[in-house]
Amino acid sequence: MSLLVPGALALLSLAIPLLVLYMLRSRRQRFEVPSVMLWSGEEEFVSAAVPWQRLKITAALLLQLLALAAFAFLLSRPFFEEETLLGPHTVMIIDTSGSMGMENRLDTAKARAIELSAEASDAQLISVVSGGPSPRVLAAFSRDPEGLRTAIESLSVTGGSDELGEALRLARGLATPDRPTTILFLGDGGIPGSVTEPVTNALHVPFDDTGDNVAITGFGAGAGAGETRMFLEVTSYSNKPESVTAELEVDGLSVGSVDVDLDPGQRSQKAIAVEAGPGQVVTVALRDHVDSLPLDDSSAAVLSGSAEVSVAVLGEGSRFLDALLGSISGVRDAAGLPPDVVIIDRDDASIVDRPAWIIAPETPPPGVEVIGVLEFPVITYQRSGEPILEGIDLADLAIAEAQIVNAPGWLSLLRAGEIPLILLGEVDGQRAIYLTFDLTRSNLPVQVSFPILGSRLIDWLGGSRVTTASTAPAGTPIPLVTPQGSTARVTLPDGSRRDLVEGLLTFNAATLPGVYRVEYVAEDGTIVPGPVAARQFVASESTGETRTIAVVDEGTQAAETSQLLREWAPFIAALLLAIVLLEWWVAYGRPMPARRGEGEAAT
Amino acid sequence: MLLEPELRSRLDRLALASRGRIRGAWGGRHRSRRLGESLDFADYREYFPGDDYRRIDYNLWARLGVVLIRLFEAEDELPLRVLVDTSQSMDFGDKFPTAQRLSAMVAYLALASGERVQVASVPGEDSPRIQGPWVRHTGSWPVVESFLESLQPGGGTDLRAAANHVAAATGLRGASVLVSDLLTEGWEQAIDLLGVSGSGVVLQVISPLELDPDLTGDLTLRDVETRQEVPVSVSDGAVDRYRERVRGFIDEVANRSRRSGLDHVLAVAQPGVLDQTLAALVSSGVAR
Repeated sequence: MSLLVPGALALLSLAIPLLVLYMLRSRRQRFEVPSVMLWSGEEEFVSAAVPWQRLKITAALLLQLLALAAFAFLLSRPFFEEETLLGPHTVMIIDTSGSMGMENRLDTAKARAIELSAEASDAQLISVVSGGPSPRVLAAFSRDPEGLRTAIESLSVTGGSDELGEALRLARGLATPDRPTTILFLGDGGIPGSVTEPVTNALHVPFDDTGDNVAITGFGAGAGAGETRMFLEVTSYSNKPESVTAELEVDGLSVGSVDVDLDPGQRSQKAIAVEAGPGQVVTVALRDHVDSLPLDDSSAAVLSGSAEVSVAVLGEGSRFLDALLGSISGVRDAAGLPPDVVIIDRDDASIVDRPAWIIAPETPPPGVEVIGVLEFPVITYQRSGEPILEGIDLADLAIAEAQIVNAPGWLSLLRAGEIPLILLGEVDGQRAIYLTFDLTRSNLPVQVSFPILGSRLIDWLGGSRVTTASTAPAGTPIPLVTPQGSTARVTLPDGSRRDLVEGLLTFNAATLPGVYRVEYVAEDGTIVPGPVAARQFVASESTGETRTIAVVDEGTQAAETSQLLREWAPFIAALLLAIVLLEWWVAYGRPMPARRGEGEAAT
Repeated sequence: MLLEPELRSRLDRLALASRGRIRGAWGGRHRSRRLGESLDFADYREYFPGDDYRRIDYNLWARLGVVLIRLFEAEDELPLRVLVDTSQSMDFGDKFPTAQRLSAMVAYLALASGERVQVASVPGEDSPRIQGPWVRHTGSWPVVESFLESLQPGGGTDLRAAANHVAAATGLRGASVLVSDLLTEGWEQAIDLLGVSGSGVVLQVISPLELDPDLTGDLTLRDVETRQEVPVSVSDGAVDRYRERVRGFIDEVANRSRRSGLDHVLAVAQPGVLDQTLAALVSSGVAR
C-alpha cells in the first residue's frame, strides 16, 4: 500500500495536544452531599498545585486517537495497485471464429470480457471489436458496463476463420491519441498467418479448452457419368476411435447415409452418388453424434449448373487430365475450335491469350520466373478460406519435383515453405492457374478430391463464379442481384430473417454455416425467389488448435496500463464515520445517570 | 398542616403498644413495673399495720390463720419522647419535611392512645436542644404540630447527647422515637442509650438520591454539616461501591437497633412514605 499524499500524515501530530488535553487536570465541580461518610474510600489524592494528572486511558481517548489516525490516513490518500488488463483505453477483440465454439470457448471469453468491462473505472474507456470472419466494431469508447455487456453478449460463434489482421486494423483505428490504448485479443489464437506477427502493443488472453471432435471437413458436389456425386470428408480430432453415420438429405428429404469409422486423427473421404440436380440443396449431418464442436457436424452444398466450357489441352497431356475433363459436367473438347480454356501441360506458356491452366511449363508465362527445382517438397501451407480449395485437404499431396518460381502478384494457394506450388493470377488480363509440378509425378490425380479441384479450377477459369458463390466458406458474402424497386430478404440458417436495405450488392453477414435463402420483395409485395447459398464451416477451425500470438513491446505498454491505482478512501471514510459515531455513543449515548444539580465551579 | 385529617382519623383507630413493663408518672393503659390499683391480681404479702384492711384476704386468713393482703398490678401511661434530627444533613431533598411528618405521625399516634408526648430536637455542637412541652390527649395536637413546624434544619448533630439526655431522665421508663438519617458520628452509642432507656423506634430517613446518587465525573463532594471536602472520581464502579456501603450502613443500623431492643424502620423520603412507615410500625407491633 502506498500513499498519494504522505505529508497528510503530519496530522497525526495532533495526537499530542489531544493527549495534553487529557492530562490536564479537569476542573472539578463541587457538590454538596448530606454526608461524605459513605464516600469514604473513594477519595483520591489531588494536588491543587499541579495542573497535570496521570493520563487515564479511556475508551473515548482511544476512539478519538483512532479517529484522528483514520482522518490523517484518509487525507494521505492510501492506494493499492491492482493488476488489471485494462488501460486508459482498451480495445477488446473477441474471436468469434469457428474454433471458439469448441468447449464453449466463446462463452468463457465473453464472460471474461464482461468481467473486465465491469472492472473498468469511470476513467477507463472500452471498445469492443468482433474478431470473426467479418470484423466489426461493436462498441467504441464506452464507459457503460450495461451497454458493453449487451454488445458482448450479442456475439456468437461463426463458421469462419478469424480475420485477426483486419480486426487489429480496426482496433488500431480506434486508438486514441490522448490516452494509451491497450489491445486485448480474447481468443484461441486463430490460424497461423492470419496476422503478421509479432503483434505490437497488444495482449493475448488465450482460451484453449479442447475436447474430442469429429468434423465434416469437406463437402462438395461433382458430376460424372450422368449422376451427381457428393464428395464427403470426415475427420476425427478425437483421442479415441470414432464411428459416425453421415446422413445426406436433398432439399430436406433423406437420400441415404454412410457409416464412417475413424481412428484418432484419421481422415476419411467418401464419394456418394445422389439423385440431385442443379439448384438443389444437399445437406449432410452426423447423426446421433455429440462432440465438443457441434457446428462442424453438418454441412451443406448447393448444386450448381455450370455453363458449357470448351477446353483444349496443349502439350503432353495425360490420362488423368482426360479422365478429369470427361468427368466434369458441361466441359467439352474444343475439337480444334478456339477453346474457352486452355490447359498447357509441360509446354511453352510464354503466350497466354485465354484463360489457362498451366502445368509445369517448359517456358513460364510472362511475369513468372523459374529459378530452380525443388525435390520432394513438403506441403506446409494451404490457403484458408479459398473457395477453390474449400473442403479439400492437400496435406497428403506427394510431389516428386516442383519448379521454384518467382511470381510476384500471384496468389499462392499451396506452398512448401515459401515455395509456391499452386498459384492463381492473371497473364495479359487472362485468368491463369499455375501448377509448378507435373501431375503425373505427383499423387494429386489419385486423390479423391482431384475431380472436385479440377472442376472448380475449370469453373473459375471459365469465368463462372456460381459454384463458389453458392457454396462457400462461412463468411463469404452472398452476391445479390436485386431487381429495380425491390429489396432483398435473407433467411438465415437459424431461421431468422433479415430485410436488407435497398441497393446492397452483397449480404456480408453470412457467417453462420448453413443454407441461406434469398428472396426479393417487390414494392407491391410480390416475392421473387433469389439465389440459394450454402456456407460451410471452415475445416481448419475444426482442429480446435490453439496458439499464443506473439506480441512485442508488451512490457512497455503494460507497465503503464496493467497497474490500476485504487484508493482506500471509501473504506477509510466509512471506518472514520463508524469510529466517530461510536465515540459519540461512548461519550453521550451510553445509558448513564444524568448529572444532577447545579455545581459550583472549583478553582 | 403536617397530617391530613384522613391520616389522623386512621391514627385515631390505632394505639401505641409497649413492650414489657414501663414506669410512668401517671396512670395509663400500660402494665407498670410497680403494683397499683388495677383489677389485675398480682401477689400476696403479709399484712403490716397501716395497710388498707380492705385488701385483706379473709378467706386465706380463715383457712391458714395468716393475715395476707392482695396486691394488684399498676397501669401507667407510656411517656413517649420523639427526637427529631434537625441537623444540616437533613436538609437534603425531602428529608426534613419527611422527618417532620413522621414525627408528627408518631406523636399523634401517642396522643390518640392517651400517652404523654414530648417532641425535642437533637442538639448539635453549635445548636441548642429545643424541646417542646409534655402534652397529653389529642387536644394538645396543635401544640405539637406548631412545635414541629417551627423546627428548622441547620447546624450539626450530637445524637449521643440527645440519647444520653433521654437515658438520664429519672423516674421515667417510657418509649422514644429517633427520627434521623444517622449520618453522623456516635450514632451507635445513641442507639444503645435509647435502648437502655426503654423501648423505641429508630426511623431512619434517607433520601432516594442518597440511595442511588446520580453523580458522575471528577467532583469535589462537600459535607453540608462538617464542610469536609472529598475529591472523588465518580465512576460506575465508584457508584456501585457507594451503593454497597449505603446498604451496609442501613443493615448495620438495623442490627444495632435490634440488639438494643429498638425497632428499625427505613423511611425513604418519597411520596407514600407515611403510609409505608405506618404499615411497618403496625407490622412490627409498635402500633396496633
